[in-house]
Amino acid sequence: MREGFRQELKDLKAEVHKIGTDVTDMTRKAVTSLVEGDVDIAQEVIDFDDSMDARCLGIEEHALEVIATQSPVARDLRLLYSLTYMALHLERMADLAVNIAKATKRTAARRGPQTLYDLIQAQGNLVYRVLDATMEAFEKSDLELARKLEDLDEPIDHLYKQFFRELGRLQDEDDIEWASSMVLAARYLERIADNAVDIGERIAYLVTGEFEGP
Amino acid sequence: MPEHDIHASPFVSPEGPDKITVRDLDFFYGDFQALAGIGVSIKQKAVTAFIGPSGCGKSTFLRCFNRMNDLIPGTRATGLVTMDGQDIYAPGVDPVDLRRRVGMIFQQPNPFPMSIYDNVAYGPRLHGVKKRAELDDIVRSSLERANLWKEVKDILDRNGLALSGGQQQRLCIARVLAVEPEVMLMDEPCSAIDPTSVQKIEDLMAELTDRITIVIVTHNMQQAARVSEFTAFFLQEIAGDPAVLVEYDRTANIFTSPQDRRTEDYITGRFG
Repeated sequence: MREGFRQELKDLKAEVHKIGTDVTDMTRKAVTSLVEGDVDIAQEVIDFDDSMDARCLGIEEHALEVIATQSPVARDLRLLYSLTYMALHLERMADLAVNIAKATKRTAARRGPQTLYDLIQAQGNLVYRVLDATMEAFEKSDLELARKLEDLDEPIDHLYKQFFRELGRLQDEDDIEWASSMVLAARYLERIADNAVDIGERIAYLVTGEFEGP
Repeated sequence: MPEHDIHASPFVSPEGPDKITVRDLDFFYGDFQALAGIGVSIKQKAVTAFIGPSGCGKSTFLRCFNRMNDLIPGTRATGLVTMDGQDIYAPGVDPVDLRRRVGMIFQQPNPFPMSIYDNVAYGPRLHGVKKRAELDDIVRSSLERANLWKEVKDILDRNGLALSGGQQQRLCIARVLAVEPEVMLMDEPCSAIDPTSVQKIEDLMAELTDRITIVIVTHNMQQAARVSEFTAFFLQEIAGDPAVLVEYDRTANIFTSPQDRRTEDYITGRFG
């Protein structure tokens, strides 16, 4: 029954999942470019963003079209709503990854204290864990995993604070512009994970039909 | 009605004052049991929609509220149906008076073959209103409430059957309103009329709940979602078995987060 409609929902879901894994990839590459000072990888991330924007917009348009023509209800409606919500957040996450890549371009010319690179890398590793778990929870409609995202996010906030403490130890001769770019990059990473936690709340809604508070 | 234990059936009652309360209702057409163990409360001055696949007993259940089924030979109902706490099947209840209090609109508009004016004045006259001025007032206010006055005020002496389908249906609504019912039952009121008229009737339903309680049976789930505050889903799971009330809740909940898988499958078009 309603085969075409079912297939459309399936395709939309698959595309959002693909966008999600691509955002994870962009984030990985952005962090790598920053830590390794690799402007080529950074440029790759920046160049990828236009197609990402188009794909996310495509999800919104397609979902609206299906809502207008198919009058979806219950779990179908919840899915379309969640997909739209996810597309919007994934697009922002991609933008944040691009911002990190831009920070690479600003900072690559000089090398700062290794401790800060290590902190960024550590933070990045934790963020990938959140992103992977988010997309897995989405793919499998795994309520338990979706609810765990907030816990996974916590050490990231913790590291972000540690990052600030390390900055306080910088000496006068350290480049302030370099340092502020690194702070922003750490902030962007933290925001990427926060967006993923928001997505996790919508995955829980998709499964249960109940909005769960943060 | 036979003995009944009012605590025996699953009973669903969202918050809000009740108009009609049904407990443990079974309904039979001869040997065939059409409804089993229905327990539900219909909220006052709200629109409640009954949805479900064809033949699931929605209309049968609706007709229990004004004892229209009494007119079908061989039928019987057991259980308790109360309106404002009074058992409407109790001895001494006059079914004709009950049907004035609980009016009904059918799928096919059924104006009497007489003038628009006389259609609306029919009920009040039957109940003893004789003065022309009083009748005029009732006719006008009923047609106004039914959103038909502007269209017919200059042709009140024309035959009701000369109107369009949608106008005829609103005339029938005006005819019901003329006797000041407390409840209006609507059995697929929009399935035989054009979309513009459907919209007028849907708008009208919202306005009427300032004074009356409306129960509507509809096959159109979007209509149920649009017009009703509460929705009840009925299902006959196996052919030959009686239908049951699967789920009853606020309409917004039914159409976003139904609790029963069978409701979910039906409203999302996975069966039915």
